[in-house]
Amino acid sequence: MQNMSTALGGFNVGRLANSKPQRTPGRASQAVIGDLADSDEKLLIAVGNRQDTQAFNVLFSRFATRIYAMGMKLTRNEQLSHDLVQEAMLTVWQKAPLYDLDRGNAQSWIFTLTRNRCFDMLRKIKRQPSCVSADDIWPQDGDGEHHLVHEEQGSLEVEVALIERHYTSLPAPQQAVIEQIYMLDRTHEEAAAELMIPLGTLKSRLRLGVGKLKQLIGIEK
Amino acid sequence: MTTDVNYHPAAELLEAFAQGTLSTGLSVALSAHIELCASCREESRRLESTSALAWSQAPAQERNEDVTEDFSALIASIVKQPQLKELSSEQFSVDKIHMLEHSVTLPRALAKVASEGLVWKKLAGGINQAQVTLDDETQCEFIYMKPGSQVPVHKHQGNEITLVLDGSFSDELGHYQAADFVVRNQAHLHRPASEEGCLCFAVLDGPLAFTKGLARLFNPINRYRFRRATSQ
Repeated sequence: MQNMSTALGGFNVGRLANSKPQRTPGRASQAVIGDLADSDEKLLIAVGNRQDTQAFNVLFSRFATRIYAMGMKLTRNEQLSHDLVQEAMLTVWQKAPLYDLDRGNAQSWIFTLTRNRCFDMLRKIKRQPSCVSADDIWPQDGDGEHHLVHEEQGSLEVEVALIERHYTSLPAPQQAVIEQIYMLDRTHEEAAAELMIPLGTLKSRLRLGVGKLKQLIGIEK
Repeated sequence: MTTDVNYHPAAELLEAFAQGTLSTGLSVALSAHIELCASCREESRRLESTSALAWSQAPAQERNEDVTEDFSALIASIVKQPQLKELSSEQFSVDKIHMLEHSVTLPRALAKVASEGLVWKKLAGGINQAQVTLDDETQCEFIYMKPGSQVPVHKHQGNEITLVLDGSFSDELGHYQAADFVVRNQAHLHRPASEEGCLCFAVLDGPLAFTKGLARLFNPINRYRFRRATSQ
């Protein structure tokens, strides 16, 4: 984990989820983002949270050549590599709201997404059976946990007073998210904008925070 | 999750997996092992981020005439597409394999492979085999060894990777349990046997199974396709 954090430029990629050792709270991610005016992460957040086409343009110009290069390495075919740029950048656009800062930086996210698109593209072209896809082979942490996302706004079934008493024992990033959603009654979009974090990160912190809060309050079944 | 795993894929295999250069058959086997093995999971995450870093820092490749290409039309068409708010959480129809009294939960990639339905064939010596086709570079199969079964001595042509999913088996070189990732090549005279019964997923590679860089991991591969010479 140490190495990984370094490789990722200090981003905390650990999540708080179940039973992983060396997990530290997603400290100071916002601060890191704030420092990098035009970081890939910031652009990706703008695309995911606000459908910012200008930010998408910049991401496109930054990553198109790299995606093309990966395509050439994996397919050795110019047309396929060209298609890959289109496919991968389309996926960047579509999935940007799911990007989670706590799991890795933007370049890792775009790298794995490009690799997966390329893998599926090649399988299709080689007419390999479609029973298994790249997303099965490289599942994201938390795939399948998504139905647990606490979708309804402000529906935690306890009084605000009870939440207030307990929520200070949560890690700061989760506190901030709980405060936005349950105390200030913001929407997910508003809260993500306010905290300058991706929607995907907001949702995963909310899920972890609410889960812990339920435990603390003792209403978890 | 299994914590006590003794046999792991080589670092180069894990790296090739992270970079997406392996055949589908091998990728599925690696994916399944990684789901069962915490240390390889950690390592493959690390390799994924170092690969991403190297990728994003590599000097721009020559893009020839493409450099001047105008992407504005493409970008305009992309940003008209709707965005995803949630991952579609598809359900798998099968995530368990039932063998006699056993019921085994499979890692995700293998569950998907098995969800198409497995056709089991009985082979000599208490061995059952269900072949699956994942690509044209490897031959993949689920193997179920009944308790007390023994595979006739054989030599591999090419390499065989065996991932133990349940139970255990032994050969001349060791004893293998759930999550163990066992690599054998044609240099090994192989005589697996299982006392307690064993479910495995096996990948045999043909001469073209590996991309160039990776082939040097293994001994030179015979120009032979998918045949295990079996002698009694």
